[in-house]
Amino acid sequence: MATVAGLNLSTPRVFSRATDSPKVQPMKSPFLNNPWKMPTRFGNGRVYMQPLRAAPDSISEKVEKSIKEAEQACEGDPASGECVAAWDEVEELSAAASHARDRKKDSDPLETYCKDNPETDECRTYED
Amino acid sequence: MAVCTIHTSTQSLNSRCSLYTPTKTHLGFNQRQVVFYSKRGSSSSSKRGSSSVITCSAGGDSQTIVIGLAADSGCGKSTFMRRLTSVFGGAAEPPKGGNPDSNTLISDTTTVICLDDYHSLDRTGRKVNGVTALDPRANNFDLMYEQVKAIKDGVAVDKPIYNHVTGLLDPPELIKPPKILVIEGLHPMYDERVRDLLDFSIYLDISNEVKFAWKIQRDMAERGHSLESIKASIEARKPDFDAYIDPQKQYADTVIEVLPTQLIPDDNEGKVLRVKLIMKEGVKHFSPVYLFDEGSTISWIPCGRKLTCSYPGIKFAYGPDTYFDHEVSVLEMDGQFDRLDELIYVESHLSNISTKFYGEVTQQMLKHADFPGSNNGTGLFQTIVGLKIRDLFEQLIATKQAAPVEATKA
Repeated sequence: MATVAGLNLSTPRVFSRATDSPKVQPMKSPFLNNPWKMPTRFGNGRVYMQPLRAAPDSISEKVEKSIKEAEQACEGDPASGECVAAWDEVEELSAAASHARDRKKDSDPLETYCKDNPETDECRTYED
Repeated sequence: MAVCTIHTSTQSLNSRCSLYTPTKTHLGFNQRQVVFYSKRGSSSSSKRGSSSVITCSAGGDSQTIVIGLAADSGCGKSTFMRRLTSVFGGAAEPPKGGNPDSNTLISDTTTVICLDDYHSLDRTGRKVNGVTALDPRANNFDLMYEQVKAIKDGVAVDKPIYNHVTGLLDPPELIKPPKILVIEGLHPMYDERVRDLLDFSIYLDISNEVKFAWKIQRDMAERGHSLESIKASIEARKPDFDAYIDPQKQYADTVIEVLPTQLIPDDNEGKVLRVKLIMKEGVKHFSPVYLFDEGSTISWIPCGRKLTCSYPGIKFAYGPDTYFDHEVSVLEMDGQFDRLDELIYVESHLSNISTKFYGEVTQQMLKHADFPGSNNGTGLFQTIVGLKIRDLFEQLIATKQAAPVEATKA
């Protein structure tokens, strides 16, 4: 039953800043709008940490490390599953690093903040 | 009011239970949602669990249209998605307030999900088993099918998130049925059940020469990478790519093939591209684009007395052909646009491009002039495919509205 209650919470979602969504709970719980983050939702005692986005720098380090590991893994047998999987990891991390660079490039911190908080003073726009 | 059905399938070690409850969104039509619980041991293979599904269907459901986009990693899927969602209006953004590493993009009409989220083996699991992400054994097609089907039927799902930074599977995110669902990734047309759910499918076919050039461009600045490492990565992945990804192109309604130019002899820089748009004939609600005269074979150099082009010029070709035993129309562009009048001149000579006003293709291309490929056939054909999908969507909606509504009101 706890699950069903969890489901119902999800109905008025972040989608619309709609006035018709009942604003009864001004609590700052991320679970109200994002019930999938609610650890109890999964009911089997696992508790999830909200993952943090790694800084692009740390992805770069991972790319570098994965290349070294791939070179090592392929020393013995270049056709082995181990070697192929290691180079696949390099590709995956390189793509992730490239996406992170793109995201960093076109994200202006003020724009990002104002998208979520248009009503704040620093986000006011004036006509004339 | 609501009609409920319950299905229960066979038991096995894993148990998965689905529950649908009716919800109402701001869009005003009824939707349902489903939660898939799956107990899986870390990096265990995808064994089908017992599943019990309770569906409650209310009247007035509008069905989601599903588009599949297949390509290898680093071959321009994200750029294509940005162009496609732009054609529908409104920018596509990651879900607000969710996991910052979510792979999903949401706009007013469209939700794009990345099929990497259906990895059954995380990065460590693949390493231990010596399989790549390209290998079907690293992917859970049962869950992919169940969830795409649920969304298509108007049911929201809790979709897993594969975190490309950590290589782990994060807690799931809720995906509500959009008007258009795009599933992009390595295997949208691999599994027959998933394939049958697609209303339209696209395959981005990047030739080895161009793939190499693009990856150099993407990775050379990255610490640790060298020409050798880029080459080694492409070569190591190639057997799995050829076995599991490449064969999907035979099922695609449209293939965008990217090749080195023929305008510059022995060019291997990969800067100037020759791009082919291969369009299947006889696909419902999709009529291929043509140049001058439908069904004829045409070679066209727009640059001449009326239009002057910069080096190395632009060359078009059009004609009927066969592709994996299918009848197709092929439109080809070699070269690149350097000036606006070149682009609009070309657009005005193409037919069946499903624009709503004169110059819409040019407008879309200019709007995203900073995207990769905006001056060549990749950008042009991606934009045109976007317009064709909008057209297909509008035709499908019109057909549905015309069809008598099957009322299940109690």
